Amino acid sequence: MNLLSVITFLPILFALVVWFLPNEKHVRPVSLGLSIVHFFVSIVLLVKFDISSAGLQFVEQTPWVQSAGISYFLGVDGISIWLVILTTFLTPITILGGWTSIQKKTRGFHVSIFVLATTMIGTFLAMDAILFYVFFEASLIPMYFIIGIWGGKNKIYAATKFFIYTMLGSVFMLLSIITLMVLAEGQLGQMSSSLLDFYKLDLNFLPGQFLSTQTLLFFGFALAFAIKVPLFPFHTWLPDAHVQAPTPGSVILAGVMLKMGTYGLLRFCLPLFPEATAEWGWIFLALGVVGIIYGALVAMVQPDMKKLVAYSSVSHMGYVVMGLFTLNAHGLTGSIFQMLSHGISTGALFLLVGMIYERTHSREIKEYGGLAVVAPIFSIFFIIVTLSSIAVPMTNGFVGEYLILMGTFMVNKAYAILAVTGVVLGACYMLWMVKKVFFGPPGKLIKDFQGKNLDLNKTEVMTLLPVVVLIFWMGLFPGHFIKYTKASVDHMINAKQGYYLKIEGRQKKVATIKYKSTRVTR
Amino acid sequence: MNLSFDAVDIKYILPLIILFTVSLVPVLVKVFNKNKEPGKIYNFLTPMLGALIAAGASAGVGAEFLSKGISSKLLFSGALVMDGVSVLAGILVSLCLGFTIVLAKESPSINKNQLSEAVFLLMNAAVGMLTVLWANNLLVMFVGIEMMSLCLYILVAMSMELKLSKEAALKYFVLGSFASAILVYGIAFIYGAAGTVYLPELITQINATLLSNGYFLLGLSFVLFGLAFKVSLFPFYSWTPDVYQGSSTPLVAFMATGVKLVAFVALLRLIATQVLQFQEAAVFLQVLQWMAVVTILVGNIAALRQDNLKRMLAYSSVAHSGYVLIGLLAVSSSDGQVLGASSVLFYLFSYVIMTFGAFSFLSFLEKSHESALMISDLRGMASRRPYIALSFSVLLLSLAGIPPTVGFFGKFYLFSAAISEGFYWVVAWGVIGSVISVYFYLRPLVVMFMSDEQGVDVEPSRLGTQNIIFITAILVLVIGFVSNPFYLHIQSAIKTIF
Repeated sequence: MNLLSVITFLPILFALVVWFLPNEKHVRPVSLGLSIVHFFVSIVLLVKFDISSAGLQFVEQTPWVQSAGISYFLGVDGISIWLVILTTFLTPITILGGWTSIQKKTRGFHVSIFVLATTMIGTFLAMDAILFYVFFEASLIPMYFIIGIWGGKNKIYAATKFFIYTMLGSVFMLLSIITLMVLAEGQLGQMSSSLLDFYKLDLNFLPGQFLSTQTLLFFGFALAFAIKVPLFPFHTWLPDAHVQAPTPGSVILAGVMLKMGTYGLLRFCLPLFPEATAEWGWIFLALGVVGIIYGALVAMVQPDMKKLVAYSSVSHMGYVVMGLFTLNAHGLTGSIFQMLSHGISTGALFLLVGMIYERTHSREIKEYGGLAVVAPIFSIFFIIVTLSSIAVPMTNGFVGEYLILMGTFMVNKAYAILAVTGVVLGACYMLWMVKKVFFGPPGKLIKDFQGKNLDLNKTEVMTLLPVVVLIFWMGLFPGHFIKYTKASVDHMINAKQGYYLKIEGRQKKVATIKYKSTRVTR
Repeated sequence: MNLSFDAVDIKYILPLIILFTVSLVPVLVKVFNKNKEPGKIYNFLTPMLGALIAAGASAGVGAEFLSKGISSKLLFSGALVMDGVSVLAGILVSLCLGFTIVLAKESPSINKNQLSEAVFLLMNAAVGMLTVLWANNLLVMFVGIEMMSLCLYILVAMSMELKLSKEAALKYFVLGSFASAILVYGIAFIYGAAGTVYLPELITQINATLLSNGYFLLGLSFVLFGLAFKVSLFPFYSWTPDVYQGSSTPLVAFMATGVKLVAFVALLRLIATQVLQFQEAAVFLQVLQWMAVVTILVGNIAALRQDNLKRMLAYSSVAHSGYVLIGLLAVSSSDGQVLGASSVLFYLFSYVIMTFGAFSFLSFLEKSHESALMISDLRGMASRRPYIALSFSVLLLSLAGIPPTVGFFGKFYLFSAAISEGFYWVVAWGVIGSVISVYFYLRPLVVMFMSDEQGVDVEPSRLGTQNIIFITAILVLVIGFVSNPFYLHIQSAIKTIF
């Protein structure tokens, strides 16, 4: 069975089911049920995954556009497997998150969520550059609609900015991909956009010079991913998009879409352009550090809870980028782990902010105060997630940040020391917000709600429970998660120069594709 | 030159003969019926059938070529050539004609008392287009272009009884005649310098000596610029928005697709003579690169500021001409010919589909011949007509080049052809242009899906127009997903002209 295709395109099927559902009232429960089914299907992947192998598994490859060597090529390895699971895990949570907040056009909303899921999973599984690009770009469309239709007051500005900003980066990636394909035609004798063929290319590199093939291509890709992550100074679309997006939109945006950028850096930039990465990696280390501190400082002065969480995202994603460019096993493992844990804890923070916003219709921190009295269960959840976000030991946030900082310390002590201040600053702004919102004398808003029950209902608790379980699971037993990525990370570090990926259990059908067999040695 | 011809040649130009003969039916019926407008049978069904049969006849020629393994055939002592490109583009032009007749029948912007004349002129414009597609001789090409243009001048003028359309007609006529004059003047210079206007002979004539002849260069540049006017390349684009705005929408759909397609095929045939490969012609290559870049930027930036949908699409069609020119640059270099030419043709075909669909959408919404459709009029389309709104969105996203639509793959082929010939910086401007274009292509989407107020009501009766929108939108997606067979087909057609 073509497991990866099933996981990728099942949501499209679900979208059709939801679109043609006769009664709009059934849309929510049906979508929830289907997305949970999807999650369990993706668990099969986890069960069948061979953790000892660094190669691509469950590979599917059929020619798509032969004339340009583009193939429909899916595969999963230790780098992408968790991101796929993260997507399928967050989809039901997003649907629950929109249970009450999405009031109009519910059918269209759930269709968008499912289409988005397909494009995101496709991005993580595609092993062909053009296929990757198609998924990467196509994911903009559903997200554009989610922000633009169900968003806040300034939604159209935010949605358009999000779309154009991301597109600006990715067209240069397209340019770089096409250049690589043309180079493949020269070096391998056949145009190809398969990543495995790209890894074989010999790219001209001149140390210290900006205008050499490898450096230009490296920056072509890196720009697209830096905007997607978003790395400081390309982050300006993020606060707008997050603040205007509806809660489920923010969850999926912070939870999964930002990871498409860091995943791209890990899958394309690092292995494809090893010399350029070594030469120019310091820029990304530095920008990562700047992002960590800048994001934290800006978050500290935000009056709006959602904006605060959005800027904390900038800060946390700075860690991920920094970890990637340490180019050692600790940094990479930490980054992959941090991608997951950021997806879960920031997703949860956006959910929580959305839940309280639905009740009070305000996100102004100074209007709150004493919320813990009227909403105790909500407060417990919020504080747990906050602790995870500020990387308290035993929560998921700690493991990732610790590994990243350790990796950075091995490479460059100055960056590590600067980055550590980000942890402190993170604790500052998050705990500050917790203090102002939940404790202290009742604020203006809470006085209005005195005596009323503001606490979470059962649906909301059910939404948050799996997240909290994961927060502790990942914090207490990180090994359960890291063991899946270990082989791939080790392979990436060991084969830094001349990276390659083996296809595990290569089937006969795959081997007969003509342009795969023509191999020219470097 | 031997002017005799084989009677068999007639068989190959059957599409022309059919179109011309059928075009006479509605006007003759009108004349013999005391100048009373004939009914649906003569005004709509007969011309539709004629267009379809013409498309079928072109396809038949293609099938015959395939079965016999012939790549191309010269007709009428080499004045016309039948090859893969003629056949494919011929089919597309005939289909466009058919679709235009459907739009014209249902559109309020075509005077229903003059429908038979409009159909007559449309079909004869198509006759001219087919002539251009098949021309193997610069003079025949010119005759075809003039035939097409004259019909279009009259069509623009009779579009609407509005000041705007009179202005458009006059502008189009004056500027168009000027361009035609330059074109024929250039052909005269080429004849004077090279001694021939017959393209295959020109190929053998072209060498360094000829290219250092100033008269030849002058002639060549005149011909290039004359054709550049027809496809509205910078700096000859400024008539486009005004003329499109002043003309009836079905006619614009036909002009924006058919005229561009044939004029670009003419340019392709001219550049395929490898005239630009010589060192002496390097300056042309420079100029063309700049024209491509500026056309893309001007078209896309001007479109940003348009609130009138028709003007917006007009500027977008200007920008698309710039993209096609990028592909033509690849054709003009020595080893990228087949790749470049196939990408150009693929892009042209996809452009025709998306643009025709987009203009059909305008035609679908127009209430009267006077109405100018603004972007804000689309408010609430998504809730009133979800499928139409969705189809239009697909078309716009394809025009913007977002995957997985055909517009993306069209751009992909163009850019890869240009990059493999080393035109990096032109392509870089091209992609920047397409980022700019996203902004205005998204504006209708914003209005349709994201605002809740109500806009103009839609007339529900335009079934044909509606179906054209659906067909084009589905084609855009289907050819996007499975572009390979189409591309291979085009590539094998292209190989016949080199």
